[in-house]
Amino acid sequence: MNHLRRQFPVWGTIVDVDCAGPNISIDELNVTLENVIKFCEAVDRDFSTYIESSWVSRLRRAEVAIEDCPDDVIEVWDLCAQAKWLSDGAFDPWAVAGGFDPSGLVKGWAADKCADILVKAGATCVQVNAAGDLTLRGGWWDSTDGVVKPWPIGVVNPNNTMEIVKVYEISDGAIATSGTYERGAHIHDPHTGMIAIGAKSATVVGALGWLCDAMATAVMVAGTDSADWFAQEELIGYQVFSVNRYEDTAWET
Amino acid sequence: MKRALLIAGGTVGGLSAVMAVTPPQLSGSSAINIASGQEISAPTTSPTSTPTKAAPASTKSSKPVATKKATPTSTKVSKPVATKKATPTKSATPASGVKDGTFTGPAVFVNYGTVQVKITVSNGKITDAVAVQAPSGRNDRYTQRAVPILKQQTLAAQSASIKGASGASYTSFGWFKSLQGALADAGF
Repeated sequence: MNHLRRQFPVWGTIVDVDCAGPNISIDELNVTLENVIKFCEAVDRDFSTYIESSWVSRLRRAEVAIEDCPDDVIEVWDLCAQAKWLSDGAFDPWAVAGGFDPSGLVKGWAADKCADILVKAGATCVQVNAAGDLTLRGGWWDSTDGVVKPWPIGVVNPNNTMEIVKVYEISDGAIATSGTYERGAHIHDPHTGMIAIGAKSATVVGALGWLCDAMATAVMVAGTDSADWFAQEELIGYQVFSVNRYEDTAWET
Repeated sequence: MKRALLIAGGTVGGLSAVMAVTPPQLSGSSAINIASGQEISAPTTSPTSTPTKAAPASTKSSKPVATKKATPTSTKVSKPVATKKATPTKSATPASGVKDGTFTGPAVFVNYGTVQVKITVSNGKITDAVAVQAPSGRNDRYTQRAVPILKQQTLAAQSASIKGASGASYTSFGWFKSLQGALADAGF
């Protein structure tokens, strides 16, 4: 089993990649990781609201129509629409001041894509941690006993980041946490325009990274009201764990 | 390459050498397994698949412990982390090759200044991580916020047998690079 772990800066934060496979050499892992980094840099160029020339910035300035954007941008646009619908409008990238902002979904989407690149190249055990939004594939290889085990992923307590409040064991899937505690208040309620007050932190675990990321953002907005969403057919298998804002409590589905 | 691998094992999420000898210390743990078809061709079955849900009572998160007032070199370092409800079965066995003492990582230049991290290792565990150099100047406010947060993540990483953490955005690449150097020196 060859193993490689590396972090690289992108999107103003850090992406942490852990990958391993029995039939892929270290050199091949390194080359594949370079491709992952290139992909992430392309995502930045296409989606960043801080880069004037990005497709998203041009969409925001109404300089370009969505139909004229590259496939990835159209794909994300469509996924945003799905997430908006599944969250009864609580996740709404079109209601943000300044225009379309898919930031609440792109990290989770990109983490999945990165993991796909690695799996396609032959890695069997993959973790992509895009600054708190994770995609997992295949479990992790424990070198002490040679056994592949589900990734144990901790959820950080928003009240005290020294503490892990919950651990999910995930072999294949994604986990995303949204919160106001780490990078400042960056969630907005599309219905009121005010800073979201639904939850202090929301974690969603499920199959698809983009959906986890978007729904975590939406739970931040809607709070306990969002429990109903997870009864929808499209969200079967998805779980939510949320720390409430003003009380010292949490809830989960 | 060997060195790169060694360092690669010793980052915030991956203090695996330490975590491997630390028994699970969490009460609110639930094992889940996602076997959805959509993009995953072969659903994997988790060997430890116990579909137990944590009791609602155990999901209560604890109060913030004086992290709000900005004291970057906070005092709660020596406290065991996330072990409140756990039985004190904490193994004191240091990971093999880990040395006690203080280790200072390389000074790393990032686009807003220089970051250098010093860690303190006791009984094979990191007990403190401080910035001995942090950028100053117009980005001061950013740095003051980022450094305590990253320090907390450094310590949190060994607070449970986890291989990754969800919820925290890493805010400083320099911190990471310097920390890696300090960890390598300590033998992690």
